[in-house]
Amino acid sequence: MPRITVDGRIIEVPEGRTILQALDDVGLLMNGVDVPHYCWHPKLSIDGSCRLCQVEVEGMPKLQIACNTPVQDGMAVRTDTERVRKAREGVMELLLVNHPLDCPICDQAGECKLQDYAFEYGVLESRTREPRRALKKNVDLGPTIVFDQERCILCRRCVRFCDEVPRTGELRVFGRGDRSVIDVDPDRPLANDYSMNVADICPVGALTTKDFRFKIRVWFLRDVPGVCTGCAKGCNVYVGVANNKAYRYVPRRNDEVNATWLCDGGRLSYRRIGAERLREPLVRVDGGAAQPTPYAEALEAAAGRLRQLVDAGAGERLVVLASPHATNEDLLALRRFCDALGVTSAGAAVVRGESDDLLIQAEKAPNAEGARLLGFGEPGPVLERIRAGQAAGALILGHDVLHDSRLGGPEALASLDAVVVLDSHQSALQRVAHVTIPVRHAAEKQGTFTNHARRVQRVLPAVEPAWEAWSDGEVLAQLGAALGLAGFDASWDVVAASKALEQVQPAFSGVHLQSVGDEGLALDAEAIRGAAS
Amino acid sequence: MLTVPYITNYLTEHFADDAFGTIEGYERYGGYAGYRQALDTPAEDLIELVKASGLQGRGGAGFSTGMKWSFMPRETDQPKFLVCNADESEPGSFKDRILMERGPHQVIEGILIAALATGSDKTFLYVRGEYAHPADRMEQAVREARERGYLGPNALGKRRSHEIVVTRGAGAYICGEETGLLESLEGKKGQPRKKPPFPAQYGAFGMPTTVNNVETFSHVPHILKHGAEWFRGFGTEKSPGTTIFGVSGQVRRPGLYELPLGTRLDEIVFEHAGGPAEGRKVKGVIPGGMSMPVLPASLLDVPMANEFLRERKTMLGTGGIMVMDDTTCMVRASCVISYFFRDESCGQCTQCREGTGWMHKILERIERGAGEREDLDVLLDVAAKMEGQTICAFADAAAWPIQGMLRHFREEFEEHVRQQKCPFPASFEL
Repeated sequence: MPRITVDGRIIEVPEGRTILQALDDVGLLMNGVDVPHYCWHPKLSIDGSCRLCQVEVEGMPKLQIACNTPVQDGMAVRTDTERVRKAREGVMELLLVNHPLDCPICDQAGECKLQDYAFEYGVLESRTREPRRALKKNVDLGPTIVFDQERCILCRRCVRFCDEVPRTGELRVFGRGDRSVIDVDPDRPLANDYSMNVADICPVGALTTKDFRFKIRVWFLRDVPGVCTGCAKGCNVYVGVANNKAYRYVPRRNDEVNATWLCDGGRLSYRRIGAERLREPLVRVDGGAAQPTPYAEALEAAAGRLRQLVDAGAGERLVVLASPHATNEDLLALRRFCDALGVTSAGAAVVRGESDDLLIQAEKAPNAEGARLLGFGEPGPVLERIRAGQAAGALILGHDVLHDSRLGGPEALASLDAVVVLDSHQSALQRVAHVTIPVRHAAEKQGTFTNHARRVQRVLPAVEPAWEAWSDGEVLAQLGAALGLAGFDASWDVVAASKALEQVQPAFSGVHLQSVGDEGLALDAEAIRGAAS
Repeated sequence: MLTVPYITNYLTEHFADDAFGTIEGYERYGGYAGYRQALDTPAEDLIELVKASGLQGRGGAGFSTGMKWSFMPRETDQPKFLVCNADESEPGSFKDRILMERGPHQVIEGILIAALATGSDKTFLYVRGEYAHPADRMEQAVREARERGYLGPNALGKRRSHEIVVTRGAGAYICGEETGLLESLEGKKGQPRKKPPFPAQYGAFGMPTTVNNVETFSHVPHILKHGAEWFRGFGTEKSPGTTIFGVSGQVRRPGLYELPLGTRLDEIVFEHAGGPAEGRKVKGVIPGGMSMPVLPASLLDVPMANEFLRERKTMLGTGGIMVMDDTTCMVRASCVISYFFRDESCGQCTQCREGTGWMHKILERIERGAGEREDLDVLLDVAAKMEGQTICAFADAAAWPIQGMLRHFREEFEEHVRQQKCPFPASFEL
């Protein structure tokens, strides 16, 4: 591996990379070594046009752009000299010649690279007396994005993104010189499954999402690392939170999972955190409608229903449907609950839909693979038992099963003696369940998911529900204790549960909440035992 | 027939004879003899010969032609290409036009020798869109050469083919920059490519490519025929050979003058081109196409070769000499120049896109009578920020002429600011 010196610091870098790529590879870019840049993006082709990343390279008379200069063993790079400083100042001044400087009303303010770099590397006074470019404002580029041509600094990241990532090519540069503008062709809007990423990679306030713009100033947001729950990919996100409310998901870089991208559907799934939530426990007396009931009473009602089955030999008569939206830790609690009752019929229904070769997976839940690894597989046999009248009760997490046509609708459950549902959202299941207990959304708890590629990733609480709700694992612990099941004492320690995953699935050895970090850990495929199909 | 005043040397010797433009006529004058000689010469020796001749590219940058050829990979499975840059778009330059109109086979012969030296399979001859007639002439000559077997399946010897494809540009200055040309050739927007990779590794359609100017190719057959020593008999030690100076502007005999490199600029302007009109004085001369810094009348005693011109902070460029007499307002001239570069900037690089526009706006304001003293320093500062910091040399080409104007005619800019108007009678609209 070539060794180069950057500002006197010796670093070993991978072969065949440019200076900027190498700094990014070793984690030093804008994190120890400042090489400001606009057009360069780690996941797009090199453009070399913004000219901000110029550095001094020993032996080369002119400044070189770090983004396109290949590293060579023994190369000495300086990013901190007077010449470099002057060059950056020059680029910044020229970029601002035509910029409207409308920061007070710009939604990007606070996370704008033009603002940041102008402050850090620019001159704070303008020398231009000439009129600035008057261009199109508030341009509707398509269903998701609004464009301000005047703010655009023509780094062309968005153009390359559309060409190279979704490969839909909607955006182009029209005109040349200082008349250059980015736009779409007539009648061909910016509309692809990843369109909103252009707002993330736009360094300025030119491209903003219709969803987030003007909702809140970004400096009020707290970024909590999380995982998108829209599909089995488990794209890494930051949940933007203020006033105990989630305002957006933005992609969080993870080169092993989603690079720096997020699909539009996943991005907007933050809305589910606050929408159609189940806010109070419901208890239904036979023949009646479900009634809101205090938590303790509802829990006792659930235990009562299940106790009838337990007394009559639950293992045979109770069926269990796990949720692929539940965390591994929740599912471990469910596994133990099943084992303590001797339940033999358990599975997990997974909603399936469209997929692509980029991020979007067919399984529309974050933990379908985790469910399988913990023994909750294909739900066909469970549904068959229900239909055949061989089940007297059902314990159901989530409501994904409603999408499985083999169930034949919620009414198929109406004849059972005990239907207990744990769910974060409202659904038709509540019409037939005897007891429904609200649980937390993934953004409201700690836990891990196992993605489609068997990478275990963690979620952290980003918001706190404004009503009484616990995680599935915690509710099951309380329920188990109420039933007097062996090993259940109503207390719940999610960290301990995570560390105990390996007792059920040896592949989890060493992989748990406290070890996976922000970027997750891959399970050892060789170590997998007893996964359900 | 040649319709402009001219002086000939080996390149243009037979240009007065229409027959020289046909294959029969060209052969009658000894044409394709250099090519035949090259057929029996190892490629390495051809490159060495051209290196020894000291031939420098005539497209503006003046890089050693033999050296450029040596950058082409020897052992490769990929097809290799040549490009003949006939985009001649530098204002003040019109030599390639005459070379194509009057000596198309001389260009083709040069291309064939270069193809033998570099082992190239195909040549793209990229002609600027406005050059409809030169492009027609080249197409005709290519047909003739193919009929004679100079091009086609055995062009480079037995079963070693070579073809020339004539393509026409669509009118952008930047397509004369070699990688802007390659993009345009591939059907894309004409925007120079970042380097690396260089064209010799990744050129036209991603294949190893060498780009040479029309005039550069035209010199090559003569070097083959007469040798490197003969070639070095023309010009200066560092800049051998002749070149065609295209003289335009306020002189009595604007025209094409093929003269050895190192011929003095004042000799070209006053003797060959006849000097200014009766009662006028030469004020400034742009020596090498519009992108080169101007020289004032007091500095015209300079040999036209880069090693001398550099001392006066200008360059030979394409040899397009533009003469301005004492009726010319240098601020207005600067304004026109900066408008051209603002219009033609491709817009990729920050400094060029924003700098060309900013400079033009300032210059126009000064010319209209609203200039301020600080403007002159801002102009120089913007020019300095553009220089040497972009993907291609366009930003330099836009900055240099304005720097030159301010270097030699600063008092005229100051006078505009002082009087808050242009002291010259308006000779043309802005």
